[in-house]
Amino acid sequence: MLEATRQPRQSTSESVRERDREFTAAALPWLPNVKRFALSLTRNESDADDIVQETYLRAHRYWGSFKEGTDSDCRKWLLTICRNAFNTAVQREGKSVAVDDDELESLAAARAHNAARSAGVDDMYARLDLGPAIQNAIAQLDPNFREVVVLSDVEGFSYEEIAETLGVPLGTVRSRLFRARRHLQESLLVYALDAGFDRVKPAPKLRSPAKETNDG
Amino acid sequence: MDSRRSECEAIVRRLWPFVDDKLPDSDREQVTRHLEQCADCLSHFDFARAFLDAVHAARPADEHDEALHARVLAALTDQGMTI
Repeated sequence: MLEATRQPRQSTSESVRERDREFTAAALPWLPNVKRFALSLTRNESDADDIVQETYLRAHRYWGSFKEGTDSDCRKWLLTICRNAFNTAVQREGKSVAVDDDELESLAAARAHNAARSAGVDDMYARLDLGPAIQNAIAQLDPNFREVVVLSDVEGFSYEEIAETLGVPLGTVRSRLFRARRHLQESLLVYALDAGFDRVKPAPKLRSPAKETNDG
Repeated sequence: MDSRRSECEAIVRRLWPFVDDKLPDSDREQVTRHLEQCADCLSHFDFARAFLDAVHAARPADEHDEALHARVLAALTDQGMTI
């Protein structure tokens, strides 16, 4: 009743219709992306759907304050709202994570390669279908790492776009991203070995015939 | 040998920013030059790129979730959306 007196019939005027049409056309095509991001945060289909719905309700409410630019701006805006909706839902504080040295994380990537090489699986990415293992490894990450690696390496956001989406400094994006990658690489190496893929590695370096003669 | 080794280490320390194309121009050129002549470092960078390609390729397909689409539209209409 009160609503009715406050909101005269003119509120469904042509301009509101127009605005809603714009909103639908700009925001709804990103539904699969929002869903995928929501799922990466909740790791649960039904919670993800709730978050997606809440995201679109908020987006519609605040559409007037969103200045439409490029398509990817709208996607970024939606994922920002999605992340905030998730934070509200789980009362998660954006707790800060110990910042690791970016250069040490780069060295860790070379170590991961050395470990894979000595286990005989350094061609694991070419040889194995790691898709399910990768999705599983991402799901196991701490949420602070997961959201960064999903935005960067799955959705293809730049460091800057991630910093804006998550509201954290660039340096934090980098250190979380590199650390997330290290965790993923470690998980995938364990997976490749557990799955027995090292068995098909080429035979270890042959001893020289001279050595064998000496042995005999 | 030692200077070679420390040069390699200095290069590898910039692996992720290089792979993400975030190095300043001068650094990027230095890393590029090194990789042209150091197969071992190059193999680390290639492995990192293969890892990133695999992560990107593993992304779940955009699924057109009709049920969710309908549910969101219904909720928006409840909220007063005019379409």
